[in-house]
Formats: sequence, C-alpha cells, structure tokens
Amino acid sequence: MGRTIGQRALSLIFVLFSVTFLTFAVSFNAPGDPILNMMGGRQDPARYALLRTLYGFDQPWYIQYFRYLYNLLHGDLGYSYKYPERPVWALIANGVPVSLELGLLALIVSIVFGVAAGVLAALWQNTWRDTLLTGIMLVLYSVPSFVLIPILWIGDLALYRAGLPSLPVAGWGKWEHYVLPVIVLAAANVGFIARLIRSSMLEVLRKDFIRTAKAKGLTWSLVIRRHALRNALLPLITLLGPASAFLVTGAFVVENLFAIPGVGYLAVQAIGQRDYPVIQATTILLALAVVVMNLLTDLAYTLADPRVRSG
Amino acid sequence: MQKLSTITKLICLIALISLISGCVPVTQTAAPAAGGTLRWSLEGINELPALDPPLAGASQSVGVISLVFEGLVRLDGQLNIAPAGAESWDVKDGGKTFVFHIRKGLKFANGDPVTAEDYAYSLNRAFGPDFANGNAGYYLSNISGATDVTSGSAQTISGVKVIDPQTLEISLNTPSVYFLYQLTFPASFVVSKKAVDANPTSWTDTAYGTGPFMVKEWKHNQSITLVPNPNYWLGKPQLEAIEMPFIQDAATALKLYQTGELDIMGTYNFPTDQLSAVSSLPEFKQVNQFFVAYIGFNNAKPPFNNPAVRQAFARAVDKATLINKVMEGAVVQADTIIPPGMPGYNAAAAKIQSFDAAEAKTLLANAGYPDGKDFPKIALSINNQDPNFPKIAAALQQMWQETLGVTVDINTEELSKFNDDLTATANNPEDPAALSFYVSVWGADYPDPQNFVSQQLRSGVGNNNGHYSNAEFDKLVDAADVDANQATRLPAYQQAETIALTEVGWLPLYYGKANMLIRTSVNGLVVTPQGLFPAVDWTKVTVTK
Repeated sequence: MGRTIGQRALSLIFVLFSVTFLTFAVSFNAPGDPILNMMGGRQDPARYALLRTLYGFDQPWYIQYFRYLYNLLHGDLGYSYKYPERPVWALIANGVPVSLELGLLALIVSIVFGVAAGVLAALWQNTWRDTLLTGIMLVLYSVPSFVLIPILWIGDLALYRAGLPSLPVAGWGKWEHYVLPVIVLAAANVGFIARLIRSSMLEVLRKDFIRTAKAKGLTWSLVIRRHALRNALLPLITLLGPASAFLVTGAFVVENLFAIPGVGYLAVQAIGQRDYPVIQATTILLALAVVVMNLLTDLAYTLADPRVRSG
Repeated sequence: MQKLSTITKLICLIALISLISGCVPVTQTAAPAAGGTLRWSLEGINELPALDPPLAGASQSVGVISLVFEGLVRLDGQLNIAPAGAESWDVKDGGKTFVFHIRKGLKFANGDPVTAEDYAYSLNRAFGPDFANGNAGYYLSNISGATDVTSGSAQTISGVKVIDPQTLEISLNTPSVYFLYQLTFPASFVVSKKAVDANPTSWTDTAYGTGPFMVKEWKHNQSITLVPNPNYWLGKPQLEAIEMPFIQDAATALKLYQTGELDIMGTYNFPTDQLSAVSSLPEFKQVNQFFVAYIGFNNAKPPFNNPAVRQAFARAVDKATLINKVMEGAVVQADTIIPPGMPGYNAAAAKIQSFDAAEAKTLLANAGYPDGKDFPKIALSINNQDPNFPKIAAALQQMWQETLGVTVDINTEELSKFNDDLTATANNPEDPAALSFYVSVWGADYPDPQNFVSQQLRSGVGNNNGHYSNAEFDKLVDAADVDANQATRLPAYQQAETIALTEVGWLPLYYGKANMLIRTSVNGLVVTPQGLFPAVDWTKVTVTK
C-alpha cells in the first residue's frame, strides 16, 4: 500500500512537470502577441520593446520556461496581463472557494437524486415507471447546459412577468443565486449517475449472494440496503474522482452565463485574452486536481472493495 | 492597427463626457430626499481590469475610474474642454506651455487638500517603471522629459513644474492643441500619495480621489460598489450608492435588467441579436459613437498600390444596401473618416466615395483590368471577433464580383492571428504573405480629428498599417497638428481627409452605435451631442423606487 502511494506520488510529479511544459509550449507558440493585446492596438514601438523586456519575452524560450518553473516552485504565478493590478494567485484564490461551493452542492444534489432514481428504476425494471424514469434521465443526460440555461431563463422570466416569485438569473452571494446553476450543473450528472446505478443495481440483484440473502429470510428492504446497494454504489466511486477534480476548476459554461466568480469564469476569459499566466495557472490547477483526485479515488476503491486490495 | 478594445475608447469617451456636460435633462422628476441606489452592469468583464488611473485601458476601467477620479480638465456636453481640478489655465509659447491654476479648496474624498504637488506626483507616477504597461506614454509622451522617466534616466518629468501649491506648469516638446483633450483620459488623473503609500499593492480596493464617488467595496471577480464623495467639489452626490456587477455575457445582463435587478445595462456591451425585442421600449436608448469600421488597403503591393484600383473598389460598394439590408440598420452608413459630431466633421466629403457602378468599371479598366480580366487573386481579411464582419465581407464579395467582375476570397482569422498578420503587414508590406486589404475599426481616444486623420493615415505613423502615403496630406496634417487656431486647423484636417478619401486611403463602411437600457426611474441623466449618458452633474442623479 505504502509503495503504491509512493509510486503514484512520483508519477504525479512527472505528470505535473509535463503539464507545465506543455502549457508553456502551447502558450509560447500560439498565434497572437500578448503585448499587442495588452496595448489595445495602440502602436508605440518604444513602449512595445519596453514591455517585451519587462515581461521577459525578449529572452529565448528555455530561459522563459525555466524562469517560469523557478517562480512556480516559489509560489509565484506572476501577474495577469489583463488585470495588471492583481497577481495570478489572488485571482485564482478568489475563484476556487466559489467553484468548490457550487460544484460540491451540484455533486451532492446529483448523487442524491441520481442514486435514488437509479435504484427505483432498477427495482421497477421493465415497468412503465422504469421506462418513464429512464427516459427522463436520458433527456437530462443528453441536454447540454447551454440549451438548458435558456430554457430555465425563459421560464424564470415568465414567472417574473406574471408577478410570481422568480429566481435571480445571474449573480452570486445569496442563496437564491445557487438554485439555477446547481440545477443546470446537476442535471447531466443526475442522468448519468441514475443510468450507472440502474445497470449496476440490476447486475447486483442477479448475483448469487442476493439470492442467498433472500433465502436466509431477510426482508427485501434489508437486502437492498445492506447487500445490493452497497455493491451497486462501487462504480460511483470511479466517477467521483474526475467529477470532484472539476469542482476545483469550475464549470466553464455555467459560471460564464450565470456570472459566477469562479475559476471557470476566469479561465474562459483568460483564454480569449491571451492571458498566459492565468491560462497556465488554471491548467496546472486542473491537472493537479485531476491527478490528486484520481489517486484518492484509487485509494478509496481499495478500501471499499477488498478484492482490489488483495489483487 | 486593429483596435482591440474597439468601442472601448469611444465609450470611455462618452463615459468621460458623462462626467461633464451641462446638457438637457431627459427625465424631470422631483428628486426624492434620498437618491437611491443605482444598479449599473459592467458587461464584458468578469473582473474590473484596473482601477489605478495610469492602468486605464479597457472601457469598463475608464468608466469606473472616471467616477472615482478626476483630472485637471474634463469635457463638457459639447465636447469642449471644461475646468475640473484646474479652475483655469493659461496657454503660453504658442501652445507649448500650459499653466494650470488648481481649484481653491479642492479636496480628496478623505478631506485632504489637493495641491499642484499631487498632480505632479500623479504624472511622475504614471510615467514611472511600475506603469510601463499603462497608457500614459501613449497619450502624454509629448510632455517634455516624460519618456526619460519611463526609460529610467530621470526620476521626475522635467516638463512638469510646481510653481506654487496652486499652480502647475506643463511644457511640451511640440505645440499641441489636443493636449488638453489628452488630459481628459484617466492616465493623468490625480491620485493621493497618502492612499498609495499606505497600501501600495491594494490601495485601489478602497480607492478615493477627487471624483464624485469613492470605492466602498470591490468584491474581486464579482462587483464594485461606489458611495458618494462627501468632498466632491460640485457637492455630495444624492445617490446612496452605485452597485456595478461584472457580467461577462451581455445576454445575462439583459436578463437581469428584465427581471428588475439592474437600472442600467448595455453601456459596455449589448446583445445585438436582441435589439428588435427591446428597441421599442421607452427605456431603450441608442447613442452614436466616434467609431468607424473601414477597409484598409496595402498600398505597397499590387493591385492596391494603384489608386485607381482602390477607387474602383470603393465606388463599387453600394453602402446603402450594405447598411440597410445586410446590417438591418444596426449601424450608421459611414462616408467620412472624421465621424459626425466630432470637430472637423465634413458632410460635403461624404459624396467622394459614393456608389457609381459605371464609374467603378471605368476606373478598373483604366487601371488595366477591363471587366476584371487578369485581376490578381486577392483576399479580404477579417477577424472572427466581430459578428458583423462575415456578413459584410460576403456582401462586399458579391458587389465586387457583380460590378467589377473581380473574384475576392474572404480570409477569416482569429482576432489574435489577424492582429499578428496586420502587424507583419505593417512591418513588411511587400512580403508575398502580407495582407492585401482588411476590415478594421478605429474608436476615438479623444474627440479631436488628429486622432482620426494624422494618427491613422500620415506616412509612417504606427497605425497606418497599409502604408498610405501622400505628401500633400502629410504637409496639411503636420501643420494642423501644431496649429493653435481651430479656424485654420480644422479646415486643414478636412482638406487632408478629402485627399485621403479621394485616393481611398480608407474605405469607411459604418459608424458604430451603442445601445443601452436605462430604467425610467433613473433621474437626472442627460443627452449629450453623442446621445444619452449619465451626466456630468452626478449631484443631480437619483433613482426613484
């Protein structure tokens, strides 16, 4: 076990190192001169040269890269080009709690509803209720957020115009602001989790140990809760790793359309603005989150499923 | 050069005008005792790019900075220079030296007195190494010795002298009529040394200056809240606060407005696809902008090194169809370089490039390409950022095909790639890969024709990417740029503009329009010659609930 963690930690360092190099290489070679962008199209060769020197763009690429790595290891992510008053870490530090809060809420909602719907559909297998539930879940899973958001907006606007209680369509801070984004973020996951749990539940219900449990004379609800559900939930753990990694980096579309000040909001704007320090920082943050969460998932799986541990 | 922040400057300008004018009240409701809270969205950003005046660049920053800070002078409703921090000024040495008399009793929002020292400090700071990425150099490098501070060879600007606490003298390298206009841009606005020194890295979180408001709270990545400056020289504004949320997507801002959560939206970005849904509302306002979209030509390379070819292309464009049918009237047809409303606008110049299919054919035939025969393969380059450009390019393509028999490709590029290519074209116009012609835009930095004529088309200037060059044009603008007499200066720009239009240095396409929604409960906003915007006199603005 200890050896596994050690190996994984080593590979983690390698992965992160590769990510810093890749993001640097992509940024370095991408078309679009960040200094020209910064100057907003005002041609001024003297100032252009000055800014190139100031930001180190006059150095060869390897010097720029190693300086970047050096600063990164010292916790210095540099200054944003777009927001010259603010260091990159401050921009990201503002966004992470917001994205986490939103993502966690959405994840909890999707697990609660997804698992419930999945279990019910499995128990009602091949009845009209199963078909209806599975159908709804398929729709939720397949409707993209950029379609769902306008639908919710139109509904919300109709409520407002009718003088009925309505929700704020964007913003952040009050509890009302959470409702629509959480619905949108959770929708696809509810559909996915429900389908996953349904099929895994059906598989478990066919297993010998369930028949044994029933034969022992246990009540049906006890069989479901203690034996079937526990086994059926295992695949959910594999899903949670990557899903929780994205909690940290935020939901790009949802944060943008609902004006939620999370990391996703920041990342999308940074890409459009050629704000390389912010792009690099958010990419590394995402990579770090994915790698760490996958490591934790594997560990959790080992703990939850004795077969993996012994194997 | 393609102007990224485009409408930017222009709106900034309008925002500045806002601080000013003595104009016509739009709504006249009896002001309530307390002024209410004004909720006004900043579209297109997820964080205020900057609040420190020397870093002003993006229109949203210029807008907020102009509410919190102020300079020596400002623009009035007729776009004339009006006193602000300086009560009056004298111009000496034929426009090379300006002596400003600082307003007596002027105070920062915290109550500290403002003296000439503060203005000198602010200018020296703006040119200092910490603000190399600011805009002071672009607007104010004509101040003697300013660039020495930027390069580090001097600590203070030799051309800025404090005569006494109430008197500031600024000397320029060359006489300039538009210097005062340049001072209306935030780069030179006065900041408090005490505030900066107390918290050098985050003083703007609670920024105050001499403007009508001061920062109460800047929730980073979310919103900024301003409250009245009790020491504002025109009196304390009646509004209790201005809440300005940052909303990236203009469609989201519109939804917030429609659900009653905003009082003003659209000043920085409006979802143009929703125009038809709101344009009949009483609170919908449309503002003409000092903003021109145009076609620029590579004058250094065939076929557009021949003026007759450029003229043929210009005369073959049916702008009325382009604007009214293709653009559905969302913009205004442009026939001049200097936009309407700007000093020096010349309506008579509008006919120079008027649509004339027969004349266009003749011009092209005279240039050696009868009916487009043997015309080289060329492409019109556009960027993908502006949703109007593909429609316009396709319509132009068809017009040139039908009238001239010339096949033009459309080269659509990502904005950054487009800017790179345009810069490469400016540096190496004869290179085979250099752009042939391109759609670009220019928005005013300040309302002076110098910004549209000299700075765009004079031989060798940075923004003249297409290398248009005419000796007579250069002579006229060089004289006008240093002429202190508007009566002779403006006609010189008009003559130069006529030359550039005749030779098609630019083919202007349309002037911009800004669209916004302003709730009728907002009182005291005014109409300026540039349309509607919250006015000068913030002491009179209120919101009725």
